[in-house]
Amino acid sequence: MGIVPKETIEVTAQSIGITNLSPEAALMLAPDVEYRVREIMQEAIKCMRHSKRTTLTASDVDGALNLRSLEPSYGFASGGPFRFRKAIGHQDLFYTDDREVDFKDVIESPLPKAPLDAGVVCHWLAIEGVQPAIPENATLEVIRAPADNKIYEHKDGPLIDVRLPVKHVLSRELQLYFQKIAELTVSKSSPALFKKALVSLASDSGLHPLVPYFTNFIADEVSRGLNDFLLLFNLMHVVRSLLQNPHIHIEPYLHQLMPSIVTCLVSRKLGNRFADNHWELRDFTANLVSLICKRFGNTYITLQSRLTKTLVNAFLDPKKALTQHYGAIQGLSALGHTVVRLLILSNLEPYLSLLEPELDAEKQKNQMKSYEAWRVYGALLRAAGLCIHDRLKVFPNLPSPSPSFLHKGKGKIINAEPRKRKLSADSSENQPPHKRLITTDGPDVLRPHDHTGPAPMHVDKPIGNYNLPQNSAQPSSSEQASDGESRNGKEKERGKSRAITMKAILGQIWKDDLDSGRLLVKLQQLYGDRILPFIPSTEMSVFL
Amino acid sequence: MDPEQVDEFVMGYLKKKGFNSAAKHLQESLHNNNGSSFSSIDYPNDPELTKLIRSFSQSENDPSRYREGYSKLRSWGYNSLDLYKHELLRVMYPVFIHCYMDLVGKGHTQEARSFFNSFRKDHEMVHLRDLQKLGGVLAPSHLQEMEFARSLRQSKINIKICQYSYDLLIQYLHRTESTLMLGIINEHINFQVYSGQPNSASDDIEAVTIVGSFHETADHVNQKEIHWGLLEDSLEDRLEKTGGLLSDSEKGQGESKAGDDSKKRSAEIGKQGSSTKKLKKDKAGTATTKVARQETSTVLSSMPRVKPELAMPVMSTDVEESILEDLRNRVQLSSVAMPSVSFYTFVNTHNGLNSSSISHDGSLVAGGFSDSSIKVWDMAKIGQAGSCALQDDNNQIVGKNGRRNYTLLVGHSGPVYSATFSPPGDYVLSSSADTTIRLWSTKLNANLVCYKGHNHTVWDAQFSPFGHYFASCSHDRTARIWSMDRMQPLRMMAGHLSDVDCVQWHPNCNYIATGSSDKTVRLWDVQTGECVRIFIGHRSMVLSLAMSPDGRYMASGDEDGTIMMWDLSTARCITPLMGHNSCVWTLSYSGEGSLLASGSADCTVKLWDVSSSTKLTKAEEKNGNSNRLRSIRTFPTKSTPVHALRFSRRNLLFAAGAVSKHSS
Repeated sequence: MGIVPKETIEVTAQSIGITNLSPEAALMLAPDVEYRVREIMQEAIKCMRHSKRTTLTASDVDGALNLRSLEPSYGFASGGPFRFRKAIGHQDLFYTDDREVDFKDVIESPLPKAPLDAGVVCHWLAIEGVQPAIPENATLEVIRAPADNKIYEHKDGPLIDVRLPVKHVLSRELQLYFQKIAELTVSKSSPALFKKALVSLASDSGLHPLVPYFTNFIADEVSRGLNDFLLLFNLMHVVRSLLQNPHIHIEPYLHQLMPSIVTCLVSRKLGNRFADNHWELRDFTANLVSLICKRFGNTYITLQSRLTKTLVNAFLDPKKALTQHYGAIQGLSALGHTVVRLLILSNLEPYLSLLEPELDAEKQKNQMKSYEAWRVYGALLRAAGLCIHDRLKVFPNLPSPSPSFLHKGKGKIINAEPRKRKLSADSSENQPPHKRLITTDGPDVLRPHDHTGPAPMHVDKPIGNYNLPQNSAQPSSSEQASDGESRNGKEKERGKSRAITMKAILGQIWKDDLDSGRLLVKLQQLYGDRILPFIPSTEMSVFL
Repeated sequence: MDPEQVDEFVMGYLKKKGFNSAAKHLQESLHNNNGSSFSSIDYPNDPELTKLIRSFSQSENDPSRYREGYSKLRSWGYNSLDLYKHELLRVMYPVFIHCYMDLVGKGHTQEARSFFNSFRKDHEMVHLRDLQKLGGVLAPSHLQEMEFARSLRQSKINIKICQYSYDLLIQYLHRTESTLMLGIINEHINFQVYSGQPNSASDDIEAVTIVGSFHETADHVNQKEIHWGLLEDSLEDRLEKTGGLLSDSEKGQGESKAGDDSKKRSAEIGKQGSSTKKLKKDKAGTATTKVARQETSTVLSSMPRVKPELAMPVMSTDVEESILEDLRNRVQLSSVAMPSVSFYTFVNTHNGLNSSSISHDGSLVAGGFSDSSIKVWDMAKIGQAGSCALQDDNNQIVGKNGRRNYTLLVGHSGPVYSATFSPPGDYVLSSSADTTIRLWSTKLNANLVCYKGHNHTVWDAQFSPFGHYFASCSHDRTARIWSMDRMQPLRMMAGHLSDVDCVQWHPNCNYIATGSSDKTVRLWDVQTGECVRIFIGHRSMVLSLAMSPDGRYMASGDEDGTIMMWDLSTARCITPLMGHNSCVWTLSYSGEGSLLASGSADCTVKLWDVSSSTKLTKAEEKNGNSNRLRSIRTFPTKSTPVHALRFSRRNLLFAAGAVSKHSS
């Protein structure tokens, strides 16, 4: 039997109003119909070929009908090829996916955009036989990094199967480009030009062949130039630009880049001059780390865990310098609030007790050390504060702790990290009753409690949560986070001018808050969470 | 055997054959004689004859005999000796299709269909397209109607087979008394028996192609003489002369070198060419080009020269000068010196671009659209107007000042299937489904002439290498030669068995080549209108053609992605170039003929080293080996099927294509 069964003929006949078609006639017609259909398709395929296409469209069939001097099929010319749906339960039965459209919708819908007019654009597909790496061309396949060590190992053995290294041909232009970028990075002479170079690194396609060279370059320079602050900063900028470039497939080189980045985050000493603001570099690098984790955390599952392990080790080792601690804290806090909650907050109490003597101006005479300690303290506050703040936002039905504060300090952060919110939402859901409790209280009522000492609330909450002290000091840290310049100014004020006394007073206050906070924590976490951010700011305003 | 039985057989036979009166007579005489013996032949003692008679009477009507016979023959073929198997299996296909057509012809549609379906798998690999066509033949009338089936029925198929295989086959057929199969084989197959060992299975392409009655005619046609040399006093000649005058010392050097090993020399030149190419405009560069020219000139001067058979148009001195200048500055290409490729991408065509073409200098690009329009872009202007906009994917060039940046040519009333430039770029020739060819002026941006003559869609139209004349080909199975100043065609080439899909001029203008849906390429004499060569070997529709600049070779590309290199004088395929996996839309030889560029629907441009192939084949002709050519470079585009390719006179390669939607 042919492709067209006689039933099809019968159905078709009925559909056009012929009811008395004899079965014999249908049987006779079926093969002829099939032949005609094949004939039309044969001509349609010719039309398709001459239209330089490989997909058959309704217009091709019309063309074929035209060749046979037949009436075209009306109502199918859609421009594009048809979409066919497979009929469920049948092997090769397809139907066109024809949606029913309401007439009203069509009339009421806004006019569709006019189709763009045809145009011609031109580019070099190849220059003297070599395809230039430009966005118009198909991307080249990933070139592996030059593996130089392995070749020698093979050569020593009596093995016959010596694999030659993959020849990595680099065009002259790329070589020049690399040299120029490397020069700019090292020389530090023209920041404007370097900025442009970074933009180019972040946007140009076709740089992919250079990635292994850049990773090598960065690794070398970081290990060599630990004393050169500006160089390190430039290198980190290069890393960021490479990460930003959408045309670069950096994943295979990530393992080579990570050590350099972590070095810039937690190294004991970055830069050799006092004026070098290595804090800034650490902050920048911390952001870089979080960027990497966000982008590649899914593909490299071990990436984040290894990274956090390194950082936590640095953080919890009391022998390490405070600068290292700072870097570790910044790095961890950049990894998100869950990390902060699990790793920093849980270790906060012992750490703070360690830090306390350093903070105390009387005990720690070394001004530098003291400054460093305060930096670390600030970082801790910030990390914890952000974490808590994030948690707070989970309860939108609560009166927001302080809209002004939110706007001032955290606006950016809120927008930036909506996902993290959910994370912490999950975690905080095990304490729903507390929230309820709080909602009943107004913030105004609560404030005095804080000042006077939270004795009445003492009893019920045994959770060893140390969020509160940080919270109490949060505004200062948030200010630090929000605008670097003012913060720097303040820091300098605090650190360098004779404001030691002031600092001592501040420290005293913070410690007070800390103490009271600790009490508070033991009592009721969320209470303080909401209200405390105000206190230091007001107090600060008094003191400053 | 009973005499009565014999009578019955005879009766049955007569009735079946429609000899009713004879049957009546027989019956009467049988009654009259009432059993008395009238047979003088001793039936019982001649079993052979009995069987033969039985087969005649009984089973002529029995469609299952075909299946039985064929399946027996098939299993025998598959179980035969390995050495001879492929030759014997070659017989299967014609037997198969004729069995099928016999069944259809006798009206056993159902049996024919089931027979076809049960055995088509065997032949699908090689003959898929033929089978698809034949699968639609379901009634006796279709056999008459369908060109392909008719030609199969009318002609015999040539099969080369070695003596032993032939003996095996005949023995088998006699032994098993499969008279039906024997009949089919006798009727439709023409064995060319040769002595000696069977050929290896793969090399003989012709063995598996069945194209109606072609082979005999093709063999006959291909005996004709053709002159593939370039024209006397061509520009290349003139260039050579002037070049010789310019550099006598170099010429001497070149000649002394010519004595050396030719391979060595070409390698040297290749090196020089590649190393100094960057200094194109420096002195060193010119020196190289001179050397390179020396190379081409020595090659070209060895070629035969022919006189033009047509009256050639007179070229203006300006044009001539510019061409000579281009030729002087031509970059020498070889497998080590690759060309640069400039790609023109059509955007926002909405699946409407049917054809595109690029002028010789690459400054103009034309597109023929399915909405009957032709659009011509002046790339030089676009380059000036918005070099920055060019990089923009959204094609903001158009939107910039709200006016289109191309010339719109409207006049056709059907999809435009080709739009090509005249050699100097001052005319555009377009062909369309409205059966007309139109000539447009790019200077006036207006339609000049409408040529009517074809009866159906005109698929392709091409200017001759010197302009003035052009050739067209159509769905009406003809190709026609026109001149710009006449409304009627000058020549009509008829002979293809299906649509003529593409046409190309020979460099000396005395021949045109046409590629067709009947899977052949033909070469026609322009002056006489005769077919002088038939090239058989493609397995699907021929889509593109290109002639080598020395006029000796031709390349053709088909729907499957196969490219074939043909030697025009022998009509033999030098080598198939495999590599593309989809339609080869376009082919182009480089200026000196050392490279062939091919563009395909698989979104790649491939470069093939054809100089080495031809050299090798010359050397290997003695050995009788066929060699396969390598592709030396593949340039993938992002998602743009390559519609058109053109080497400029200076050997810059231009490519064009419309970006395809689904992947962008």
